[in-house]
Amino acid sequence: MKCAFCGMEFDEMAARRLCSSCALFGGCRMVKCPRCGYETPEEPGLIKWIRKRVRKKEGQR
Amino acid sequence: MSVTRLLTKMAGSGCHVEDAGPGPTLPKVLVVGSPNVGKSLLFNRLTGRYVTVSNYPGTTVDVSRGVLKTADGRYEVVDTPGMYSLAPITDEERVSFSLLVQQEARAVIHVIDAKNIQRMLGLSLQLAEAGLPLIVALNMADEARGLGVRIDAAKLQETLGVPVVETVATTGRGIPELIGQISAVRPATRVLTNYGAALEEAVVSIVEILPGGNGISARTRALLLLQEEEEGLAWLRQNVELAKAERVLRLAGRARCALRHSVHYYAAIALKARVEKILADCATFPVARANGVRERLSRMLMRPVIGVPVLLAVLYAGLYKFVGSFGAGVLVDFLQETVFSGYITPPVTRFVEAVIPWPMLQELFVGEYGIVTLGIRYAVAIILPIVSTFFIAFSILEDSGYLPRMAMLIDRAFKKIGLTGRAVIPMVLGFGCDTMATMVTRTLETRREKIILTLLLALTIPCSAQIGVILGLLQGRPAALLTWAGFMVVVFVAAGGLLSRVLPGEGPSFYMELPPLRVPSFGNVAIKTYTRVVWYFKEVFPLFILASLFIWVGRFTGLFDLLIKGMTPLVNWIGLPDQASTAFLFGFFRRDYGAAGLYDLQKSGALNGNQLTVAVITITLFLPCVAQFLIMKKERGMKMTLLMSGAIFVLAFSGGFAANTLLNLLGITL
Repeated sequence: MKCAFCGMEFDEMAARRLCSSCALFGGCRMVKCPRCGYETPEEPGLIKWIRKRVRKKEGQR
Repeated sequence: MSVTRLLTKMAGSGCHVEDAGPGPTLPKVLVVGSPNVGKSLLFNRLTGRYVTVSNYPGTTVDVSRGVLKTADGRYEVVDTPGMYSLAPITDEERVSFSLLVQQEARAVIHVIDAKNIQRMLGLSLQLAEAGLPLIVALNMADEARGLGVRIDAAKLQETLGVPVVETVATTGRGIPELIGQISAVRPATRVLTNYGAALEEAVVSIVEILPGGNGISARTRALLLLQEEEEGLAWLRQNVELAKAERVLRLAGRARCALRHSVHYYAAIALKARVEKILADCATFPVARANGVRERLSRMLMRPVIGVPVLLAVLYAGLYKFVGSFGAGVLVDFLQETVFSGYITPPVTRFVEAVIPWPMLQELFVGEYGIVTLGIRYAVAIILPIVSTFFIAFSILEDSGYLPRMAMLIDRAFKKIGLTGRAVIPMVLGFGCDTMATMVTRTLETRREKIILTLLLALTIPCSAQIGVILGLLQGRPAALLTWAGFMVVVFVAAGGLLSRVLPGEGPSFYMELPPLRVPSFGNVAIKTYTRVVWYFKEVFPLFILASLFIWVGRFTGLFDLLIKGMTPLVNWIGLPDQASTAFLFGFFRRDYGAAGLYDLQKSGALNGNQLTVAVITITLFLPCVAQFLIMKKERGMKMTLLMSGAIFVLAFSGGFAANTLLNLLGITL
């Protein structure tokens, strides 16, 4: 994913590993940019599902 | 921290794991570069279809490997994770750095997006400086040419002292030439960047102490140590005898003390200047690109003459008109009056009264503070439309790339209160949720900055729901809104200014690479808004229900009335009627819950303009919520949190009292 503040591209799963050092242990459902610390809410399941479908369709083409 | 303790702390913290490659015999070719430059496509062109993908040992970062067969022999090609700089920040960058250092590569191919060579050549300079056998692949050369970017590859090669090849990974153009360079490339030897007298002196002194032959040049090692990079410090501990290592760290520490800004700052500035100089000789860009509308607009937004009026216009249109008038006015009225009062509350009340025979239990659901009549109504009819409109406005700003420019604009003003533009990130997040923002203060450079901003967030920054309710409460009263905003600015500047003078420490430095300014996309804004609203609603909804339950228990046991009685003298002291005590009691749970309580009070006509303004000022200055207190304790420690919370409680009511007294003394009616 891309940080909405500084534009850095990073892997969401890798960013999640930063949660282990946080007080909320990821309970906040936010994804933190490893470069600038800007936080974006985790995408809801519906958006992830739509993205997956779109990617699948694009792959079939 | 002492030098020895620092060395002990850093023991084993770097990525020092042996890489499990498929076979030690094949010479390695590493493909490095930022994400989205066509690196993996180029890797596939080199290796064909048969590729193994495995986690880098000790991490979950994927590393792809394949075999390249050439006339000169076979090579193992490694597609490294994306990296922006040789000083690693992310796990991916750490893995790439470790691969660069540990693999003793036959060749390192740095893949650059030729269209954006300005942003990427800095890493080439760092890789060359590290003495690696570097080949620069100017990928997407066709797209760059299409956009009018002309790069003289031969001249660039001569300047860098390493092979430069133009490639188009999608078509395979330039790939044979690239492969042809692999067997011939030698470790780079040219020092390309001068980091300024003070840093260069420190680098030379450290290089004299460090042993040679360690995967990367001693000069790069010295720079990493000066920047206090974990990898550099871990390597120092493991490879340099203690007395020498301590000397190195003392030298590095002394050099850092002599600098006004951080080493990162000087390194980034020097690299940028060098890249610009090289490209001035080796490349031309279309005039429209250099002086394009976006570029000019971007620069203007960061200059106070244009930037400040634009910021005010954004606040007026985005917050006051859209969130305040439309969200907190039109939408809230519709949901409260039409939907809840007309279609939800009456039938639910009838149903509950019919099903539950005990009035005390009926109170829990449909009483004055019931789950449906208060908790769900506050969450759905007041908070939901407000946060939705706020997040639409916020997502538009975020997607346009305006926020980092705002950070640059505010940087100079923030320095006066001991902060920098970097503090804009937690502050902007604070307008969403102060608790999250308090956690993000850990990204700030100094402890002093962290303390200042933690207090300012808790004291003066209203969260999204609260700001929306406040705008709704004060809509149609521009003088009251200005008084509230002015009061908050005065408290913000006074508290920040005072703290920056009282707390010892150096002023921090700030720089950042700006992402491009762009027209927001409807899809992005919709997804971001939906994501945030869902997140906020999940956070807030259970709490509002819980608050109704607590109040019900409180009323049942008599505790609620007791607390309201205790609160009443304080509320009267700041010139508010007794009924405001309930809203203020709500405010102790959550500021936005309290503000929503004021909304009801204002609708019933219990507050005049002055009282409304005083109430809003006082509740904004409250500690945001219980969660905020807990996070402050985690981040700043119990002692500091109790100190801050006490100060905030006193400041909130003193602020309300001061505002009320001033308005009365000056005879102002809002």
